[in-house]
This record gives sequence, C-alpha cells and structure tokens, in this order.
Amino acid sequence: MIEKSVEAYGICKRYKRFSGAGATVLKNISLDIEVGEIFGLLGPNGSGKTTLISIFSTLIYPEEGSLSILGLDARRDRGEIRKIINISTAKPNFPWSLTVRENLRHYGMLYGLYGSVLSRTVEDQIDAFELGEFRDMKFEDLSTGIKQRLSLAKAMLNRPRLLFLDEPTTGLDPDISIKTRALIRRIHQEENIGVVLSTHYMPEAEMLCDRIAFLRKGEIVALDTPQNLKNHLGLGERIVVTYSGQADIEALENLPGVLGLKSKAGRVEIVIDRSEDSVDMIVKFFQGAKILDIKIEEPDLEDVFIELAR
Amino acid sequence: MNWQGELNKYLASAYKNWIISKRNIFTIFELFFWPMISLLSIGLLTRFLKLDDSMISFLLVGSIALTILQVAQIDVAYVLLFDMWSKSIKNTFIAPVHSYHLIFGALLFGVVRGSIVFSILIIVSFYLFGFDFLAGGLLPVLIFLAGVYAMAAIIGITVCISILTFGQKADVAAWSLSGLILLVSGIYYPVDVLPLLLQKAAWAIPLTYFLEYYRTIFIPGPHHVVTGTILAAFYLILGLILFDRAIDRARRTGILLRLSE
Repeated sequence: MIEKSVEAYGICKRYKRFSGAGATVLKNISLDIEVGEIFGLLGPNGSGKTTLISIFSTLIYPEEGSLSILGLDARRDRGEIRKIINISTAKPNFPWSLTVRENLRHYGMLYGLYGSVLSRTVEDQIDAFELGEFRDMKFEDLSTGIKQRLSLAKAMLNRPRLLFLDEPTTGLDPDISIKTRALIRRIHQEENIGVVLSTHYMPEAEMLCDRIAFLRKGEIVALDTPQNLKNHLGLGERIVVTYSGQADIEALENLPGVLGLKSKAGRVEIVIDRSEDSVDMIVKFFQGAKILDIKIEEPDLEDVFIELAR
Repeated sequence: MNWQGELNKYLASAYKNWIISKRNIFTIFELFFWPMISLLSIGLLTRFLKLDDSMISFLLVGSIALTILQVAQIDVAYVLLFDMWSKSIKNTFIAPVHSYHLIFGALLFGVVRGSIVFSILIIVSFYLFGFDFLAGGLLPVLIFLAGVYAMAAIIGITVCISILTFGQKADVAAWSLSGLILLVSGIYYPVDVLPLLLQKAAWAIPLTYFLEYYRTIFIPGPHHVVTGTILAAFYLILGLILFDRAIDRARRTGILLRLSE
C-alpha cells in the first residue's frame, strides 16, 4: 500500500547557461506528500514553484536529491510514472490549429488510448469540463478560461493518480477562477486523486489545500496546514476600530499583547496575540471617543505570505 | 499496453501533422507549387542546354529526389517545430512516449506526403519531358524511395536535436540542412566534380549512394547501394540515440521549460 504520492529528499536544481554561469533555483528541497491530499506550493514569483512541480512531474530532472512518485523511483521508472500522472500548466498552450476535440484526441493517442476507449474518453472529458459548445473551435480562438478547462481536461485523459496543477487560475477572470477551483475540488473528490498545486493566490491555497509549503528563493521556509501556519507564525488577530473624538492611541501600544498598531484619522488597526480578553481592554482606551465600528479579523494566508516572503 | 495502444502513440504525431497541414495554406505550396517550380525549371534547363537522355535523367532524378527529401524531412522536423511554435512542447514530453514514437509517426506522414509529390512529379516529368522514372521497374523505385525517406528521417532528427539543444533559433536548420545535402550529395552533378574534402563528405551521406544506384538504371555503371543502406541504418540508430540524449539534456538544462514559455 503506497502511502506517499511524493517523497522528495535533498532536491537541488541549478540552470546552467552557455557562458558557464548559472542560477540556483532550488536548494535542498525535502518533503513528503500523502496519497490523496491536495498539497499547495506557495511563494512569490521566482521562488521555484514551477521548477519544483516540473521536477515532480518528471518534465525536468534535478541535479541532486532523490525523488519517488507514487512509490516509483523518479530516476529509474520515469516511463511508468508518466503513465499515472499528468499536468496542467499555467498559461496552457496546445497546437493552435487543432480544435478542442482534436487536441484531446491527439494527447489521448500519446497516452496510448485507442479505438472506442479513446473516443469515449475524449467525449467524457468534453462533457466533464463543459467544453461541448467549444469542441470544434480551434485552440487559437478559445478564451483564456476555456483554454484552462481544456488543459484540465487533457490532464485527466489518462485518469492520473496524481495531478500537478501549475498556477491553474493565473490570468483568469475572478468568476472563471472560482469555477476552476470548484472543478479542481470536484476532480479531487470524485476521482479520488492526489493534487499538487502551485499558486501565488492565497485564497486559492487556503480554500483548496490540506497542507502548504512556502517557497522563498528556492527553499521551503514553512510547511504545514493553512491553520497551523497562521497559528505558528504568531501573526495575531487584527482589531479594527473606527471612532470619532479623542482617544489615547499612543497608550494602546503599551498594552500587553499588542503586537502592532496603525493609526489614521479616526481609524486604528491593532494586531494582538489574543482577542477575547483584549477587546474589553482596548475599548476602555476609547472612553473619551465614540466608537462607530469595531471588527475582529483573523489573519489570512496573505499575512502569512507577507511575513514569510520578507 | 497492447499493440493498438502502442501503434496509436506513433500515429499521434501523424494525426497532429495531418490536421495542421490540411488547415495550412502553405501545404499547397509545399506539395504542389515548389515541387512543380523545381521540376519545371530543371526540365526546361535541360531543353535549353539540349542535353541527351542520360543527362536529362541525371538531372531529373536529382530534382525529384531533392523535392521528396525536402517534403518528408520537414514533416519529421514538424513533430517538434509545431510544438515549439505553439509553445506546447512540455505537453508532449510529459506523456509516456519515446523519441521513436515521435519520429516514426511524423515520418509516416512525411512518407505519405512525399509519395503524393513523387507521383505528381513522375507523371509531369513523363508528359512534359519524356522521362520515364519507372523505367527500371517497381523494386528499384522502392529501394530508391526508402533511401530518400531514410535520409529525410536523418535530417528531421538532426533538426529536432538542434531545437532541443539550441532552442527556438534552431528552426532555421529545418530549411538549411537540405541545402547542404543539395551541395554535396550529387543532386545536380556527379560527386567527383567536388573538391576532395567535399567528395569525402559526400560519400558519408547515404543519399549519395541511393542517387548513384538509381541513376545506373539510365546510365549503366557500378553502384554501392548496400553501403548506403548500412550507412542509413547506422545514422538512423545513432540519430535516435542522440535525440534521446538531447531530450535528456533538455530536461536537465530546463530548455524544455523555456521552449514552452
């Protein structure tokens, strides 16, 4: 029984140029991904997410380290691995003059599908990803959202056990992004497949992922569940008070548990490590003023991202 | 996987090339316009120079061979060129296919297109210039065509290796390599008029032997088609090994990713 979909140890990647100079893109990446989980790779542009997902999908090879995908050695069993994984990339591209159906048929053939199985699989994917009305449109005439759906449909042709999604909602309109995320969740649940997802959209990671690895400059700087990441980083909760009149804001900074404070004309943001007991204490500082509104906000992954990307 | 699934991995490249070709206006130029221009200009030149039948056959065999070679080799090269131009190369290389699936699938389509061009050219050369290409019977034609298609595969593989090694700028090789073959393999003149160094290069090219072989039907003389066949097989095997190495290198250097961006 395979328990890990990805087991990576000491993965390093360096791109060499003709001049001999090179850039180190990944440094000593080690992580395990459980079978069936949705795992997120998060980080700013240039942090190495696409390179790492490309290595996991055997598209490119690492210089150093060992990698096992679904129990198969990524160096020795690349051919076998490629049969049971697939990838949908950011800004998907396919042969321009092939239609949606022809593209799916072409890639289905590359995966060794044939005859009625090929035809049925292509039709199933067209139905599953609601591509019916675009089936005979050439790739070059499709909108970005439909191209992304085609890319996901192509990634499901071989019924993979592990799916790699490289920034699947980059460049999409918000409503299409929401649909795409719902689609990813549905694929994961209905097909019972593992998903490794790279993104720099925090809500996407928070909404979809069981666990997240944060990458910065080619290194993993944090790896945990979204909730634990927020808790462990001690980012605290944010209390936003809108008021009129006079309040002793400077004294607020000295209040125990206050991690930070921003004040601007009738509005103050206070970051604290506990909110329950602190609210009453904070309110006391506004006795000479009139509180118009008070909000308590939990930190989101955006805050974690900003903290980790520093 | 059963043989049908394996067969479809080969046919995938032929299918893609077929769809793209049938929607591309330049296909008409590749299949009809340029081959006809080439044949007519050489045929008319033989009339202007008042050449005898043996010289006419020498030039027309060369012209027809070069045209089929160009059509078939570009089809092999298209297997990566189309992917590179549409930036979809990583979708191909994430699939469980080998270099030979891609090359022989594309070659299959090249053979079909090359054979269509060949049929047109031998009919035109017969009616316009009185040259019967099939005078020696079917078997020599099949041997000759097999040699030309093997050469097309070798050039196509070389283009694919160049793309994976040097990136996008290497697509110029797709059109320039057959020019080099034209220069040294005895398309329009015998190899022995070349400088000694180029003669040695000519005898390292399989096409030279297949041209020499087919011309003996019209101009009797010795030929070394077995040597040509062995050379062609050697280059094909070597080409596939080097293509695999180029794929491996492109995966290590990251060129595969850059070609998709």
